[in-house]
Amino acid sequence: MAHRVVIVGGGAAGMQTALELKSRGIEPVIVERNIELGGKAKGWHKLFPSFVSAADVMQPLALKVKSERIRCFYGQEVSEIAPDGVMLRSKERIPADAVVVATGFTLFDAHRKQEYGYGLYDNVITSVDLERMMNSGCVSLADGTEPKRIAILHCVGSRDEKVGQKHCSKVCCITGVKQAIELKQLFPTADVFNFYMDMRMFGPGYEELYREAQERYNVHFVRGRISEAAETINKRIQIKAEDTLTGRPLRMTVDMLVLLVGMSANYENPALAATAGLDLAPNGYFKAVDTFLGAVRSQREGIFFAGAVTAPKSLADTLAEASLTASAVDDYLKRKFNLR
Amino acid sequence: MRNLNFGYGISRPRAVDLDTNDLRKGLDIIAEMPELQACIGCGSCTASCTAGNITDFNFRKLHTAVRRGEYKGVYEALGKCMLCGKCRLVCPRGINTRAVVMLIKRKLGDF
Amino acid sequence: MTFFAPFTIPFIVGCLLLLLCIVCKWLLWIVRMPRVDRRLIRHNFFTRHTLLAAWEVVRESLLHVRIFRHNPMLGFMHMSLAFGWFLLIVVGWIETTAYLGWEMVPPQGHVFFKYFVPINGITAHKPLFDHLMDALLLFVLTGVALAWFKRLRSRALGMRRTTKHVLFDRVALSALWFIFPARLVAEVLTAAMYGGGGFLTGSLGVWVANVVPHDIVEVLYEPSWWFYSSALGLFFVAMPFSRYMHIFTEIPLIFMRRWGLHPSHERKSYDNFEVEACSRCGICIDPCQLQADLGMHDTQSVYFLRDRRYNMLSLKVANNCLMCGRCETVCPVGINLGTLRLNSRAMRRNIPHEGRYKYLRGVDMSSGDGTVGYFAGCMTALTPGVQRAMEQIFGAVGEDVWYADRDGGVCCGRPLMLSGETDAARKMVVYNTDLFRRHNITTLVTSCPICLRVFRDNYRLDGIEVLHHTEYIDRLIAEGRLNIKAAAERYTYHDPCELGRGCGIYDAPRRVIDAVGELREPRHSRRDALCCGASLANTVIDDAQQQRIARRMTAELEATECSTIITACPLCNKTIARAAQLPTCDISEIVAKNIVSNTP
Repeated sequence: MAHRVVIVGGGAAGMQTALELKSRGIEPVIVERNIELGGKAKGWHKLFPSFVSAADVMQPLALKVKSERIRCFYGQEVSEIAPDGVMLRSKERIPADAVVVATGFTLFDAHRKQEYGYGLYDNVITSVDLERMMNSGCVSLADGTEPKRIAILHCVGSRDEKVGQKHCSKVCCITGVKQAIELKQLFPTADVFNFYMDMRMFGPGYEELYREAQERYNVHFVRGRISEAAETINKRIQIKAEDTLTGRPLRMTVDMLVLLVGMSANYENPALAATAGLDLAPNGYFKAVDTFLGAVRSQREGIFFAGAVTAPKSLADTLAEASLTASAVDDYLKRKFNLR
Repeated sequence: MRNLNFGYGISRPRAVDLDTNDLRKGLDIIAEMPELQACIGCGSCTASCTAGNITDFNFRKLHTAVRRGEYKGVYEALGKCMLCGKCRLVCPRGINTRAVVMLIKRKLGDF
Repeated sequence: MTFFAPFTIPFIVGCLLLLLCIVCKWLLWIVRMPRVDRRLIRHNFFTRHTLLAAWEVVRESLLHVRIFRHNPMLGFMHMSLAFGWFLLIVVGWIETTAYLGWEMVPPQGHVFFKYFVPINGITAHKPLFDHLMDALLLFVLTGVALAWFKRLRSRALGMRRTTKHVLFDRVALSALWFIFPARLVAEVLTAAMYGGGGFLTGSLGVWVANVVPHDIVEVLYEPSWWFYSSALGLFFVAMPFSRYMHIFTEIPLIFMRRWGLHPSHERKSYDNFEVEACSRCGICIDPCQLQADLGMHDTQSVYFLRDRRYNMLSLKVANNCLMCGRCETVCPVGINLGTLRLNSRAMRRNIPHEGRYKYLRGVDMSSGDGTVGYFAGCMTALTPGVQRAMEQIFGAVGEDVWYADRDGGVCCGRPLMLSGETDAARKMVVYNTDLFRRHNITTLVTSCPICLRVFRDNYRLDGIEVLHHTEYIDRLIAEGRLNIKAAAERYTYHDPCELGRGCGIYDAPRRVIDAVGELREPRHSRRDALCCGASLANTVIDDAQQQRIARRMTAELEATECSTIITACPLCNKTIARAAQLPTCDISEIVAKNIVSNTP
């Protein structure tokens, strides 16, 4: 009989871990909070840096989970985790030989940065809203017209102690570059301004894409954080920043302000970690043993991590890590059952 | 007003010379408020600044200048600050900016 | 009649030095007063204020009514010491008179009356006085016992923390603690030697006479009076330099306060009366959130006044105060703690600097036109929801509004004042006053309680009614100009310090919230409300410490099981929103959301 591993979360990390485990002859069980698999990545339009459609990555994964007949619980939340199984909120217990936590992250709620007027001004949207708009094929202002001037603000809910988010969300910089290019492709005559604090182009092809945005798409990059936004009578957004490279305050009016929302740790993390006796990192993410050989292991034998549950990660990193998780689980099970 | 140059603008004709600049006062200030070192130069303070809306007052540049040992004109320039506290509210690093203004004034004004 | 014995010398010397010190201090303070203050004293001396003050002296300096109300046990302790001692002196003097008839008796004569009775050959025995004096001594001794107990276990007297003292205080305190037990011992030994005494000293004297051999009593007799006199003398010498100076300072303070004197943003001689009237009872320590939430034990008003009195006030202590006013509301002496703290800051930082803020000349960023002016305030620029809501409310009632700072304005000046730069702040006051006058407004609405406070306290805006937006909205609803609907929402309201304790506005926001939903009061509210911790007045605590205070107070708001937290200050709003799990919004926002359109 195959050993059973419960995977908490059916996003990219959960699905990939499940598939890898299955190919190793282990029986994965996915517990997903939503009514379908796919997690947040399902909502993205195109992926950086190659502009591959997110659907082209996520759909095959979901189909394969189905064709491999991997057992999934939908609409179920996990209330307790332990190395020998999980407890669902419905009080049902799923016994297992190991558990993988792949609950991912929560998007930062842009309402919390009151000064940007998200939810108050019609034409202030988040990067996630923009992805949705692009998915639906209709990117426009609230009144249906085309934006001519767009500002993209980096680090909303990242590197910001004022909202308790001290960490860097890692993927927003490149997302901002990607979205700026996409907006330029949609509206070639529009001016797109990216307001950044630092451009952190850490991945393969990212720096090149940044350069492309600058040279080929004429995206403007302003080094300065927007401090406040106000709406004009004709629903445009007036923003204030410091252009730190000239050292002078900068004011401009744009048609649309895109807030690049960061990645927060899940609100449920503390409670969930407590049930398993696990520590959290100061930023609220689950804490892996280390970032080198123990990146997917928790402090407790039998509980593993996959994906953005331990830190902000790109989809590519998440998928790569999921395979690593599967291999670590496999090792663990082999060790555990050979010893007996 | 906007044309006034207090000697630390980008148009200053000489380099910031860390070989000759006397960093002691800057270090003194940092010793009293180490959190000032956490500044990442995002410019939020200057962007939201009430005085900066009317004048060339630029808190970010002033405290950076002090930390580089460039003190000339800083005390007078800091006199423009109205201490309204908006900068403290927007600082993503949670720096106690009002206290920094008061501290630098005290250290450079010798009182 | 003989009224001298060598042991009385410490007492006499102590008395004379005390008298000298107090007279010198008072004279010096009064001489150094600005002319305006001295004129106030002259002007109001022969008015009913003096009588009212005398009555207050009885209530506060003797009976300690305010401490009683705050904490009965502590009140009893202070009363038994003050009033009890006072009665001991007065009744002791009457007793002496009763025995000797009207005769000039020096102080030591009636203070040590029991000693001089046998020497002067008085044999007549007046049991009424003996019992009365014993009862009073017992009364005072219970106070001393409570004071001892309070040192050991402050919580038992309803105080989480009690004051830490300086050297002079310790000397005076120790002397004070010994005075009455020493008196008891001396009188008991006297009773053991010569008989007499009331129910306490008399019966103890009989017991001592039976138990202790006579020659030992004889040996102890003189030293016991020496000890009593020395304790008194030591206490009197230490008194003017210790916290016990408050006994003689509170009395002129009460009179002067009634005559209209008060501290101002600049230090002046009158401040001495306020500073030295502090008895260091420590009642101000417990309400201080810096103590409760951050564990700081050196910056509360009692320590601030102590440091200032002994000229050892550090910049840090002067600056480390939220100026929330929670201590001032409980101070039994009614000291203007906030003002004194502010003028201590001014002393250090109010460097005149001509030409400062010259850039304000000619600046006018206002827009719109109307008799109602709206001054959002600097902070409100960071809570655009408030501005939006106010615009909707103005629109709903068809008010023509002049916007003072929609595109940026000039600070109200209060932050500078809070940092002690009063002269600099005055430039802002002049600028804004001129701006308001130039635009001919008759009503000024502001969304920021910090601005409101300075507009009301430090601006001269005759002819312009200054309102906080909660008052304005409350009035609109009362006048029927603004129709709002109630929703089945539960709200809790946080009283901003500057709006509540600062401007006394507690009811207007509550009426407004009642009109839109259900109001739930947190544990601390109104005069007792907690500070959000982000106060501009404190430049010492850092971001993390501010947040700790915010989290504690927000937890109290959330404990009301409300659905939304309401406040009326942009600074509180941002601070609470940062700490809260529940949605937080300004009172104007919930009103704007619930406006019922007048047009059908």
